[in-house]
Amino acid sequence: MAAKQRDAATTYSPRIIARTRPPIFKDSDLDWTRPDGRGFHQCRPALLQTGAVSSASGSAYAEFGNTKVIVSVFGPRESKKATSYSDVGRLNCNVSYTTFASPTLGSQGTDHKEYASMLHKALEGVIMMETFPKTTVDVFALVLESGGSDLPVVISCAGLALADAGIMMYDLITAVSVSCIGKRLMIDPVTEEEGCEDGSFMMTCMPSRSEITQLTITGEWTTPNINEAMQLCMDASSKLGDIMRDCLKQAASASDE
Amino acid sequence: MGLPDSCQDLSTEMEVDAFRRLFPLRFFERHLSESLRPDGRPLGKARDTNVNLGLVSSADGSALAKIGSTTMLAAIRMEVMTPSTDSPDEGCIAVEFHMPPICSPTVRPGRPADEAPVISKRLSDVISSCDMIDLKELCLVSGKAAWMGYLDIYCLDADGALFDAALLSAVAAFSNLQIPVVALNDNGRIVAINGDGEQENNASITEKEAVNKEKRKLTLKNIPFSLTCILHKKYILADPTAEEESIMDTLVTVVLDSSDQIVNFNKSGGSALVGSSAIKSCVELARKRGKELKQILGDMDID
Repeated sequence: MAAKQRDAATTYSPRIIARTRPPIFKDSDLDWTRPDGRGFHQCRPALLQTGAVSSASGSAYAEFGNTKVIVSVFGPRESKKATSYSDVGRLNCNVSYTTFASPTLGSQGTDHKEYASMLHKALEGVIMMETFPKTTVDVFALVLESGGSDLPVVISCAGLALADAGIMMYDLITAVSVSCIGKRLMIDPVTEEEGCEDGSFMMTCMPSRSEITQLTITGEWTTPNINEAMQLCMDASSKLGDIMRDCLKQAASASDE
Repeated sequence: MGLPDSCQDLSTEMEVDAFRRLFPLRFFERHLSESLRPDGRPLGKARDTNVNLGLVSSADGSALAKIGSTTMLAAIRMEVMTPSTDSPDEGCIAVEFHMPPICSPTVRPGRPADEAPVISKRLSDVISSCDMIDLKELCLVSGKAAWMGYLDIYCLDADGALFDAALLSAVAAFSNLQIPVVALNDNGRIVAINGDGEQENNASITEKEAVNKEKRKLTLKNIPFSLTCILHKKYILADPTAEEESIMDTLVTVVLDSSDQIVNFNKSGGSALVGSSAIKSCVELARKRGKELKQILGDMDID
């Protein structure tokens, strides 16, 4: 109580956040299900939409379960004054969270520097930078609500927004993540699953070319698991790529009318 | 605009889009003289407005408001605080307005928009001064615990009339607010005992008496509605778009409450001087707009 009196402005959330780790699953736990009732190799239903922000050159909204993201693309536009001459274009990425994005985050809705640099690295391989020399393309993402697999959703949404902006790319870009808990592989994990995972695997690829632009593996992985995860991600990416293509075609045919 | 004659000549042969970019003021004045705006609206008409409730599941109350393409997402998180000794049985509302870089090409990361803190302050003034919320309703245990409502409004798409959209989304978020049921535990802390507290270690708490069984919703006594107008020469344009705001700089915002009393009036500089008749017309337009917005919010509550 003394601490409270000292600083009357501090507040706390009345919710109790479970920090307990569920027991590691044995082979006998075959009937175990995921928190949202999905199969282990089943992705969350995806809602994708282009043209969410009217003032941007291109934009997209993505909703995967509770993960909701908006990405705006601005440019190609004049680079910052201080930057030196460049034959190829530049890419500038920013990822931020709303203050209410997740109940555990507290009131700090801030820039996520790590995600911004991962997004940059994931995108730079797919964009034809030489098509906009001396200028910059800005890719800004806002995570409205965080429900797990945030970065893959941001990357896929950014790919869609870039396509909507008419930035030249070699292919669409899709990202999918897989969590490893015990011996189980779970695709497109939600926050609870990410919280108790033993290892995570995220792959960003160009679905029609089957080329990988970014691959991040952390934690405990065996080689067969990695192979399986890669296959899962490839399959999911090509499906996501089809959904994105449909979404872009719909937007284009709607604007023709 | 120093060469009215030359642009008069050009206007006959130039393409419309080019003329709009090169001589925006003349382009608009030509429209205004026909009592019409480039988007086809009459001068006093606001853009299509809609409100959606409860889109953010991680917040206690949320709303998305769209006026034309201006989009605002407001969400409220309720936390517990110790009330100050001056007002031991009152809670508190903290309002913050954000303009993330996604909303407009003029906002860059790391360099927050100038207008964001201004709108933040005006929103917080309006919400506290219009008696919409009785802060006493936010009290949990007198002198010990009260609610602190964090209202965060994010501009997702900035296309003019930001204050109007932000206020509308804030009001809608308050109407959507569901206060969690809480109880006082043995350590003197407030903990939630609502449906999602299914953990077994909560069993001892569930037996405790809920502190706020009845007070799940706030009563919104006096709902403020606002309308921003542009004054340009003899014209009054309601609910301007970003393009109109950038060309004509005299903005007047009128905030009225449910009984049509003026809560807040703001004319932030600009070149046009305002006569009392213009102010009266703005208030009249705001009154009409208030009725429209009341209708929109009313329709929503039934769903």
